[in-house]
Amino acid sequence: MDNLNDLKKIWLTAKTDCLPNTDEMVRTMKTYRNRKLLKKAVLTTIAVLLVAFLVVTAVYYTSTMVTTRVGEACMLVAAIILLSSNLNSLKRAYKLKNCTNKEFVEHLQSGQRGRIRFYKKTQFIAFVFISIGLLLYLYEMVYPNLVAGVIIYSVTIIWLLINWLVVRPKAFKRQTRKFNESMEKIEKLSKQF
Amino acid sequence: MTGFEEIYLQYSPQVFRVCMGYINDYEQARDLTQETFIAVWQNLSSFKNQSKISTWIFRIATNNCLKAIEKVKRIPTIELPVNLPELTEGTGQQQQQLTLLYNCIAELEETERIIISLVLEDLPQAEIAAIVGLSDVNTRVKIHRIKEKLSTKFKQHGQFE
Repeated sequence: MDNLNDLKKIWLTAKTDCLPNTDEMVRTMKTYRNRKLLKKAVLTTIAVLLVAFLVVTAVYYTSTMVTTRVGEACMLVAAIILLSSNLNSLKRAYKLKNCTNKEFVEHLQSGQRGRIRFYKKTQFIAFVFISIGLLLYLYEMVYPNLVAGVIIYSVTIIWLLINWLVVRPKAFKRQTRKFNESMEKIEKLSKQF
Repeated sequence: MTGFEEIYLQYSPQVFRVCMGYINDYEQARDLTQETFIAVWQNLSSFKNQSKISTWIFRIATNNCLKAIEKVKRIPTIELPVNLPELTEGTGQQQQQLTLLYNCIAELEETERIIISLVLEDLPQAEIAAIVGLSDVNTRVKIHRIKEKLSTKFKQHGQFE
């Protein structure tokens, strides 16, 4: 195109003084790193503490019934499933440092598939383990008192039903719509290569 | 001056223009530029010179732009941006031409927007191919087609007759 040089001239007239100067940029990055590190540290600490609490309770609480042990094991499995799945997605995000646009779009596609798999499968399995674990774990505590048992189990079952029948399907529907929209855009991008 | 500061001074205007070409929004282009240099700063020590540093920086910048597709709806191209006076320090005619250029680029597909922005930044074709991830031949063909599209659009708007 004969006019490419004219276009380049126009292109270069764009004002770029809106960008922060180097000092401001370095300051922004230091704050950003501190904030990000802090957030990551807090989240990891909470997750590790919760799992540790579960393990410590299982070790020190002298249960007489096998249901309690099975319940604890189920909840621990659920925690490990969720934690490992989150760690995997973090690992994926850090692995990608120097890749082409084509590889990046492929990475976005597989990431999106992974997220859909998480909502459809991983989260479902973890939630099954949590539900079964909780129901079994409570049994030893409530079985000597029938009234307390009925009340506590009713509340727990209602809470689980609300989660299974209302909260999860609603969140799933919302997430699916979002995922499908993103997936459509990414598929469109991928076709351009 | 540290290595990062030199890199920032040298590449930030180019990265900003490429982001602006892709996103056609002043504020978002500025945010994408900052995100790019945060990633550069974080990974500079692990950069092992497998590619040219400019290739690496433009890969980060354009991948950031592509990632923004999940959040951003495409900017309508018919309307002129409200912040027209901020785009350039040049004359009124230059401002109009720059806005028209951004709007014509915004009508292209995402990868085409990236490729033409890199062409306008005067990057060699081989480097553009290494950034986008297409073969050299494919990149050359694409560049030719995009230039034709852009030229037609500009002519439709009464420029370069």
